[in-house]
Amino acid sequence: MTSEFRHHCIVPPYLLERLLKDDDGEVRQAALNTMLTTAHLRGERAVRAAFPGLATPGNARRTIYDCRNTTSLPFAVLARSEDGPEAADVSVNRAFDVLGKTRDFFQRVFARNSIDGHGMRLDGYVHYGYEFANAFWDGRQMVFGDGDGRVFSDLTGSISVIAHELGHGVTEHTTGLEYHNQSGALNESMSDVFGAMVEQWTLGQTAEQADWLIGREVFTPQIEADALRSMKAPGHAWNTEKFGKDPQPDHMSKYVNMPDTYEGDWGAVHYNSGIPNKAFYLTAATIGGYSWEAPGLIWYEALKASNSETRFQEFADTTYRKAGELYETGSAEQMAVLGAWQEVGISITGVSAGLARARNRPAGKNGDATAAVRALTAQVQELSRDVATLKGRATAGG
Amino acid sequence: MKVTLATHGGLAAPVLASLPPDVVDTHALPESDAAELSRLVAAAVPASAAAAGNPEPPKRAPDAMSHSITVEEGGHSSVLVQSDADMSPEFAALLRWLKEHVARD
Repeated sequence: MTSEFRHHCIVPPYLLERLLKDDDGEVRQAALNTMLTTAHLRGERAVRAAFPGLATPGNARRTIYDCRNTTSLPFAVLARSEDGPEAADVSVNRAFDVLGKTRDFFQRVFARNSIDGHGMRLDGYVHYGYEFANAFWDGRQMVFGDGDGRVFSDLTGSISVIAHELGHGVTEHTTGLEYHNQSGALNESMSDVFGAMVEQWTLGQTAEQADWLIGREVFTPQIEADALRSMKAPGHAWNTEKFGKDPQPDHMSKYVNMPDTYEGDWGAVHYNSGIPNKAFYLTAATIGGYSWEAPGLIWYEALKASNSETRFQEFADTTYRKAGELYETGSAEQMAVLGAWQEVGISITGVSAGLARARNRPAGKNGDATAAVRALTAQVQELSRDVATLKGRATAGG
Repeated sequence: MKVTLATHGGLAAPVLASLPPDVVDTHALPESDAAELSRLVAAAVPASAAAAGNPEPPKRAPDAMSHSITVEEGGHSSVLVQSDADMSPEFAALLRWLKEHVARD
């Protein structure tokens, strides 16, 4: 006989009170532990709010907590605050710095005030768990493990990973893409897009200069793997004796079908994200220049125009429509989007494949006209950045 | 008693999917370790059972891993599943013991 107990979420207080009277001592103790943890969390929040130096809601203030290798966020200790001094702990400082870079990226590039657009505070928890080889966004904060030291390194060492996790927060506060099947893979892909853009923006890299790897620093030197994922070449980030070959598809013909369960990665969300990842890379490579300019703006606007159940086809259509709205119908940018999706096996609705092929030429190969469009686009983007900066100042001042 | 730990999902889901689960058999452990493992399992089972009655759907935190601990004893098998984003202290203690034990080996 097999039974399965899954811990879903916080147990309601009335149930905890009932469990406190249970005949089984273990059950009583478990209920008591849960109640103590909850009470401690409430108390800690009240105490933290009373200290002026700590992060308060708004203004995207950063606070890093040290879990001291436990899995308890309420018991984590304050390690660095927005106005506090640099910490002695390198993981704390790395998380603090990259949260700041990501916050600045969204403010300056998309005029977005933090994760929620309203100055949400940025809380990061480092040294989570024992040999915890993961990082995740739990709906309110980012959590980072130290890695196991054998396969995975400290997760705070990767800017693309930290920006990826913050990207989940942005997606949650814009469309809330459901975390399963195609909407989940899009959710994952958007986080990779944000992760790559934040890294490239920080380094000042063009699409051509960037390596388009996500989590390059995640593996220990003993592991012969380039990164967790490659947006430029999904399916080619690693090929080792220990793990086998990177299974990410780069085309709809290779779409991975897995069950919508935890064992199935909620419908292969970390696998099929390779398809829209490749489409973004191709768009950026075709347009040329910086990924966070035209390509990033098109993807960001498409994300905002999506909903929680958006699938690949709908998202592709939206990026095409947004490219036309932002850069004119038939522009080099819109044609780059069209060609990119076609190359990964998704035809834009209402556009014939023949037309797509005929018009899909890399920007720059159409002679002077394209060069002129790109020059004008660059000027528009420069103006957009200025406006975004002014908007950001107005928001911060308000 | 045989205890099997499998981890799914997370930032590196495809990598983890290729790794075999970790298995610990109390028959192969020193008596004190076996007793400790049995105590941790006994504490984790009721905590998971108490939470299993919750009618709300599981919380799907992006990139959170799910840990599945299968306990086999006397022809009976129980599977405890908890996520990074929502883990009881008892389950966390059992998970840590298993990881420490596997790392030691």
